[in-house]
Amino acid sequence: MIVIDGTIRQRLAAWLLATVGVLGAFLLIEAYTSAERAADQSYDSQLEAASLTIAEAVQWQDGQPVVEIPAAAFQILATDQQERVFYTLLNAAGKQVTGNLNAAMIATLHTAFSGDPMWMFTQNNGARIRLYGRELRSAGWESTEPVQIWVGHTVSGREVLANELFLATLTRFLVMVVLTALLSLLAIRMALHPVRRLRRALRKRDADDVSALNARVPGELYELVETLNALFERQRQGRNTLLRFTADASHQLKTPLAGLQSASELALLSDNPEDWRQALQTVHHSSERTSRLASQLLSLARLRHGSGETRERLDLADLLRDTVMEWAERGAAQNHDLGLARLSTEPYVILGEPWSLREMVGNLIDNALRHTPAGCEITLGLERTAELITLTIQDSGPGVSEDVLDRLHQPFERGGRQDTAGSGLGLAIVDSTARMHNATLLIRSEPGQGLWIGIGFPALPEDQT
Amino acid sequence: MTQCLRLGLILLCLLPVAVPAQSPTPLTVEAALDLDVVAPLLEAFKRANPGIALTYHDRSTLDVDQRARSANPAPDVVISSAMPWQMARVNEGLAQPLNSEVVRNWPTWAKWRNEVFGFTFEPIVTVYRLDLARHMVPPSTHADLQRLLTVYQDLLRNRVTTYSPTGSGIGVMLFQQDARYSPRFWDLVATMGQANVSLENSTKAMLEGLTDGTYWLGYNLLGSYAMHWVRRHPELIVQIPQDYALVMMRMAFVHRDAPNPAAAKVFMDFLLGIEGQRVLAGDTPLFSVLPEAIGPYTAQRLRDQIGEHLYPIPINASLLAFVDPLRRGLFMKRWDREIDILTTVSPDAPPK
Repeated sequence: MIVIDGTIRQRLAAWLLATVGVLGAFLLIEAYTSAERAADQSYDSQLEAASLTIAEAVQWQDGQPVVEIPAAAFQILATDQQERVFYTLLNAAGKQVTGNLNAAMIATLHTAFSGDPMWMFTQNNGARIRLYGRELRSAGWESTEPVQIWVGHTVSGREVLANELFLATLTRFLVMVVLTALLSLLAIRMALHPVRRLRRALRKRDADDVSALNARVPGELYELVETLNALFERQRQGRNTLLRFTADASHQLKTPLAGLQSASELALLSDNPEDWRQALQTVHHSSERTSRLASQLLSLARLRHGSGETRERLDLADLLRDTVMEWAERGAAQNHDLGLARLSTEPYVILGEPWSLREMVGNLIDNALRHTPAGCEITLGLERTAELITLTIQDSGPGVSEDVLDRLHQPFERGGRQDTAGSGLGLAIVDSTARMHNATLLIRSEPGQGLWIGIGFPALPEDQT
Repeated sequence: MTQCLRLGLILLCLLPVAVPAQSPTPLTVEAALDLDVVAPLLEAFKRANPGIALTYHDRSTLDVDQRARSANPAPDVVISSAMPWQMARVNEGLAQPLNSEVVRNWPTWAKWRNEVFGFTFEPIVTVYRLDLARHMVPPSTHADLQRLLTVYQDLLRNRVTTYSPTGSGIGVMLFQQDARYSPRFWDLVATMGQANVSLENSTKAMLEGLTDGTYWLGYNLLGSYAMHWVRRHPELIVQIPQDYALVMMRMAFVHRDAPNPAAAKVFMDFLLGIEGQRVLAGDTPLFSVLPEAIGPYTAQRLRDQIGEHLYPIPINASLLAFVDPLRRGLFMKRWDREIDILTTVSPDAPPK
């Protein structure tokens, strides 16, 4: 099932938003402080100018500093924002020579002053003001004491200017964000173009086209396309296997049917009842084989398409014991020494489907009986390790050569022998059953030592119910 | 049904009259502005706002400033011609900013911080008696005045009057402004000192002296009062100086601690609005500032008549220089020296 988990556009937009949000917050904080700084600088220079103008007018007379405060100084201080203005001239003793600041403020200023020009923000009558103080040494005939000049004004102009500067920055920033968003959308469209191209290429394909994709894709999509190609390759193999199987099955069914036909034709040409009997015998055997072949094909198909949903907990030892007993009583087994190795009394519990497991054991025994000469020993057993319960079958036959060992479990493979009566489906059924049970199939053979087959089932813990 | 309707109509008629009549809002205006000059404006205000009980006190600039600073309760509106003092009070934060349509439309050159407003346009004039014109060509410039005082020393001795720089806030402002424009002002002071000038505390006192013949010549009088006065005293002539004429503006502000701020704002809106300014232009010699106001007394008309040599005292922070105690002290020192400089017998005598 395909769940739509948002879109790439949404994801990119969210990331863009997050980036813009975080960066923007820093940027705007920076912009605000720098706007305030710029406003302060430009207005501070007016304070300096006013202070200079006043300093220019300071003279000494009769041992006292006198100053005819220039009217222009006040206009410079007030600025075009019409700030309220404050000023004071203090003599060396900290007494006000002239000015409009109150005594408390004068005392504060005098103690705060260090000798170097200084700036400060402070409160005066509930209004925030900016003050600039500097010391002036001017020469007089009688005395040369330093004079402190303090000038200041309210800060509404600074606030207005800072806000203007900040608003300008904010506007630029917002325009940039909008442009970035538009460009990002365009970039997303461009970046997703190969995906759309790939989608079109996939849509155009025929239903049974399993050839590899030929497409120009960016690096990020290479893995996807490669995986798709691998999937197509597996589909192709599956189709081929199916076709080969169908062809093989038809071929296998054709041989006994052809036998039936020729036997029946021969019998019809004869008047001798003995020949008829002979022919009927042949027909009987052939149909038996055909019917067995058909049932094996059926179980193979069932195994290959089975879902394994009907699996249950079962004791593999019981199942093995029952099946071996059943086979030992059959006529086919009378020429062989079919036996069961000694099993421990503890149950061998696995999760399995009883009918297919019985079929599998049957096929293993049948296989062994058919492919070994009379008088051979065939021994079945169970081995237990921590994780695996392995069902084994060992015969004392001639075994198979190393080069066909890997192909043995494929359908219609007879271990390189055409002389036996088997269909070649036995080990294929075993293999399919093992796969269905998540079991591993192991086939070992050493020439002269017979064939050993082991199917390792995952063991269930005893306590699990 | 009909009765109900009739009753309703009666109630409707009563309603607008009844509400303001019940509780008139008090409003106190402390002003340095002669009541008989400004009376038409106050009458018009009372007619337009029957719900406000206006109390108008006409005081000296000194008194008005004192009350603006420390009266309890504070006045609602403060009006004064002592421009530097008004500016100093506003700079101290004693005014509250106004923000009405009328205030926004007020010319920027005639207001500061939207807190204080110059609402009149009063030229500073020279006034002389016709007696003077019989003996000499009347002065039309500051230089003329100085020359006449030198040439007709004996004739004019004890017959010249001007503002006292110590007794009046307006006087010292005008003299400081004069001194800013020309250093020759001090020559004028010296010749006035030689003529034993009489220093008065108000324009009214000078006008009275001129009328009763005590003085022949008055320097730096408020044109508004003088023009009002000479309508009933044809023996006096008002001369607007032809070289430069200072223009004084009365400044009004609503006090920060006004007990009736709403009424005070109504008053300011009336004062600065077209209605009040029309009264100023038509019925008082205070001259309206608003270019829209039409009447015999408007700043625009004055400019058209006198030309370019009108110098309004600017309403900006530079006014604060005139209240700086040190600067004022220096000015007074100079004044005292210059006024006696021509009468000092011995050149070795120490200056005052």
